[in-house]
Amino acid sequence: MLRGPDARLRLIAILLIAALLPILGQLVRLQILEHSRYQSEAEALVQRQYALPASPWGVVMDRNGDLLVGNLPVYDIGAEISMITDTQMAASVLAPLLNVPEAQLLKTLTLPQDAHGIVWRPLAYHIPEVSAQKIKALGWPWITMSPGWERYYAEGALAAHTLGFVNARGVGYGVQAFQARFLQSESLSRTGTLGGDDSPMVNELINNSFVPYRGTDLRLTIDRTIQAYVEGVLDQALVDYKATGGTILVLNVRTGEVLAVASRPHYEPYHYADYVQNGQESLFRDPAASISYEPGSVFKIVTVAAALDSGRVDLNWTYEDTGALEYGGAVIYNSSRAAYGRQGLQGILDHSLNVGVATLTTRVLGAELFYKYVRAFGFGKTTGLEVTGEASGLVHLPTDWDWSDSNLATNAFGQGIAVTPLQMAVAAAAIANDGVMMQPHIVAERYYPDGRAVPIPPNELGRPISAETARTVTELMARSVEKFAKEAQVPGYRVAGKSGTAQIPTTGGYDPQQVITSYVGFGPLPDPQVVILVKLDRPDVPLSMRWGTQTAAPVFQKVAARVFILLGLPPSDLHAGP
Amino acid sequence: MSVIWQKSTHGVLRRQEKAQRLIAQLLLGIIITASLLAAAYLALTASNVRTARQLWHMENQLVVAQRENEILKAEIARLSSIPVLQERSVALGYRPADAIDYLYVGEP
Repeated sequence: MLRGPDARLRLIAILLIAALLPILGQLVRLQILEHSRYQSEAEALVQRQYALPASPWGVVMDRNGDLLVGNLPVYDIGAEISMITDTQMAASVLAPLLNVPEAQLLKTLTLPQDAHGIVWRPLAYHIPEVSAQKIKALGWPWITMSPGWERYYAEGALAAHTLGFVNARGVGYGVQAFQARFLQSESLSRTGTLGGDDSPMVNELINNSFVPYRGTDLRLTIDRTIQAYVEGVLDQALVDYKATGGTILVLNVRTGEVLAVASRPHYEPYHYADYVQNGQESLFRDPAASISYEPGSVFKIVTVAAALDSGRVDLNWTYEDTGALEYGGAVIYNSSRAAYGRQGLQGILDHSLNVGVATLTTRVLGAELFYKYVRAFGFGKTTGLEVTGEASGLVHLPTDWDWSDSNLATNAFGQGIAVTPLQMAVAAAAIANDGVMMQPHIVAERYYPDGRAVPIPPNELGRPISAETARTVTELMARSVEKFAKEAQVPGYRVAGKSGTAQIPTTGGYDPQQVITSYVGFGPLPDPQVVILVKLDRPDVPLSMRWGTQTAAPVFQKVAARVFILLGLPPSDLHAGP
Repeated sequence: MSVIWQKSTHGVLRRQEKAQRLIAQLLLGIIITASLLAAAYLALTASNVRTARQLWHMENQLVVAQRENEILKAEIARLSSIPVLQERSVALGYRPADAIDYLYVGEP
């Protein structure tokens, strides 16, 4: 049958074809019939979620571009302890590098008796780059190093309340917490195709970048030089007057920019975890924006401005000051308990007459008009400053369930009403800025990772009073400083201001001894640029000294004199020339 | 075998031979083209992989550079921080100004 060579060749060909057919069949099955199934299986094998290198948050700078909060690379160090051969030696070498007691490290590195397979343990977190490089140089294969970042506060505790912090859960305080959605970088994980060694495959490398984007950088309105000076003055004031705390605010009246804001007691943002551990979280709240107080007599500038703007009084208006006024079941006295006879608006500010402003609210303005102005000045609502936990203060209105008629009289001189130092400064800034109230803001510009720079424009909150009223109140305040508050006068400059000495509310009344002294002023006139508010909590000085004029006004004078120089504002008497 | 038969038979063989040679050339051409294409594909893929590895290496270098950059920024900030500047200026003999005198310069 297979005698001829042709026949044998034919047989071999048939056998080869028969052998090839199943291969072809399988190819058809794999490549055509079940193509999609195998493709998805292959993709599932190489497509995995992978972690990107940890990306740093955006930095925070002051108004001149000086770094306030930056980033430092750190490493979390771990060990596959099942691979260690000489535990004792490893512990003695690593202990100083990780800043961990050797005994503790030895315990961590020792493999438990019942351990099976690979055992990994964390050794230390947030190890700085220098130590990490030394550990890397050891070349121990069982060491694992995860790169990360930590925040670096270039000026230490400077502007602590303003800068704040954000913890690992994304919760925090200050501008960093408020602007976290800008500061933080992109998500840390992505889904893509990875090779067997967990490095990205070609198409993944071509389509995606693995260099982490930094978050958006922020340039603040804070001037670190002014801030540092203000903090130094505040610290000295707390020592001089034995005050338990205090706040100094410096605002640009034209734009609402916060140039400096300092409060005591404060904290170091870098060590926030230690404060949490010690139960001192209350330090994180910014007293300038998040804690209300009764402002006392500085609030009289609001009452006088309201009365003047309503048109119901003018500079010729007078009243008879008998030293006391009964209204709504309460008797209002002047702080000196003296009667001042016939007085006008200037006299009210000069002598800080409680009876005078109570007369304005109860006899001239009435509740509806007075509280219309109080609300227009922004009291009882937040200003919108870019920090977390801003307080709105407390303004009782006639429609409230807890309203008392006497509120109308006491609110006139800042009692029975709670405001934040920021609200008070903003209201004073409105008077300085021809009646235009600017929204206070602390972020000047955002720098996005794609190179865009977005400046934050000033925002007008409203016009509670007319420009004419604002100028009149400014003049009244300035004359008051010239005649009765030499402690607040700034040599070479004309300033306007008002002091306040407020009692501290306690359960069922007011603290008979403790007070909060304050001073709010602005200058240099005639074209005021900055408003400065000084508040000192519970100054422990002789009773005769426990007044805003005696304690807060000298601090205002000191700050104003330096701020005017730092801002390049020439003395008032220099404008006209020699 | 007659001459006529021989002639016709050889003619058939020559035609078959010609056709087979054509097929062989065609097959050879296909094989050579496929081999060239495969070689080019392999070369391109290898080049892609090499480039991707280089890219991966450069991206890693960029990450390292980014970390070094942040360290340097922090160091510059530390050296130009207010306490350090104050310390250096005091060491150089400067002291805080007690007052500033403004001089009025009249316009010419």
